[in-house]
Amino acid sequence: MKRHPMLKYLKEKGPAGPRMPTIMCPGCGAGQVLNYTLHAVDDILREDGIKKEEVVFISGVGCSSRLTSHYLEFDSGWTIHGRALPIATGALLANPSLKIIVFTGDGDAMAIGGNHFIHTCRRNLNVTILCINNGLYGMTGGQVAPTTPAGIATTTTPYGNIEEAFDICKMAETAGASYVARWTTAHPRQTIKSIKQGVRKRGSAVIEILSQCPVHKKASAVDMLRELKATTVSIKKTSCQPKGKTPIGVFCDKNKPEWTEKYQEIITQHSSRENR
Amino acid sequence: MNRLYINQDYCKGCLICVDVCPKHAIGASDRLNSKGYILPDEIDMSECSGCMLCEMVCPDFAIAVETDEEAYRHGGET
Repeated sequence: MKRHPMLKYLKEKGPAGPRMPTIMCPGCGAGQVLNYTLHAVDDILREDGIKKEEVVFISGVGCSSRLTSHYLEFDSGWTIHGRALPIATGALLANPSLKIIVFTGDGDAMAIGGNHFIHTCRRNLNVTILCINNGLYGMTGGQVAPTTPAGIATTTTPYGNIEEAFDICKMAETAGASYVARWTTAHPRQTIKSIKQGVRKRGSAVIEILSQCPVHKKASAVDMLRELKATTVSIKKTSCQPKGKTPIGVFCDKNKPEWTEKYQEIITQHSSRENR
Repeated sequence: MNRLYINQDYCKGCLICVDVCPKHAIGASDRLNSKGYILPDEIDMSECSGCMLCEMVCPDFAIAVETDEEAYRHGGET
């Protein structure tokens, strides 16, 4: 019997018994993003000759952040709420050759960890940030989040949200990230390609993945995926943005000096001066 | 012919695999697993083109498709 090819990267049994199936609700987008990421990492390990030990996964707290140390056979850290990026910074400074992938949710990255997110993008640190955006606080009961679109009903805004949603991609681009893209869980091949590009990029790569929360939105996962496909439009296909549709695609892909490289330059400059 | 394998213990019956299948080779069955989730099952695997989209989108790593090539490589009968 053939098993899922990505199960080789997952811990199926832990000290306290079986860890699979995952803790996610049926049809959750976080599990899909984990699947896409493992497909991308599998390709990178095979094509670039990188060792498994050189890939590190770090996450904060939230639905999306349960993906790391519980299930992954990679080096991983399940850290403080909103502070996954400072810990990723520490890991990167200790060993700049690491490929760091941060799983974060919209609440983790944009609400409590907004400041860390901005400054990681500003410094252009060599991390890949996968922001799983389901538009609400899933783990605590479906409350309104900074990324909830206007007019959407949640448990704390039963008559619709009056606030405008945060645009994660525009924020990351303005703050100075090297690679910014937005996809949805309904675009598997594009997301995998984007994650590969992001991990290979020297500098901050922010990939926002619009996801579904079938439990709190009270719809089936299949319907929500169809809706995600219908309400998004690729920036390649259109020059003007149709009203009410979210643009998806790669928004920014540029080469900029990376933080640890610049720091290494300073070290080599000054150590050679001392030797003189 | 490609073969479909469903891990009954891991499947949570979201049926995303059924929706994404471009050839309608898989569909919802009337079988339930031990947790009471509806399991997907093959309808006509001769239609399967081996695009692996179902493997790619499964949130619970429960579905696997074995193509003829893989079966041959692993010494199984084709």
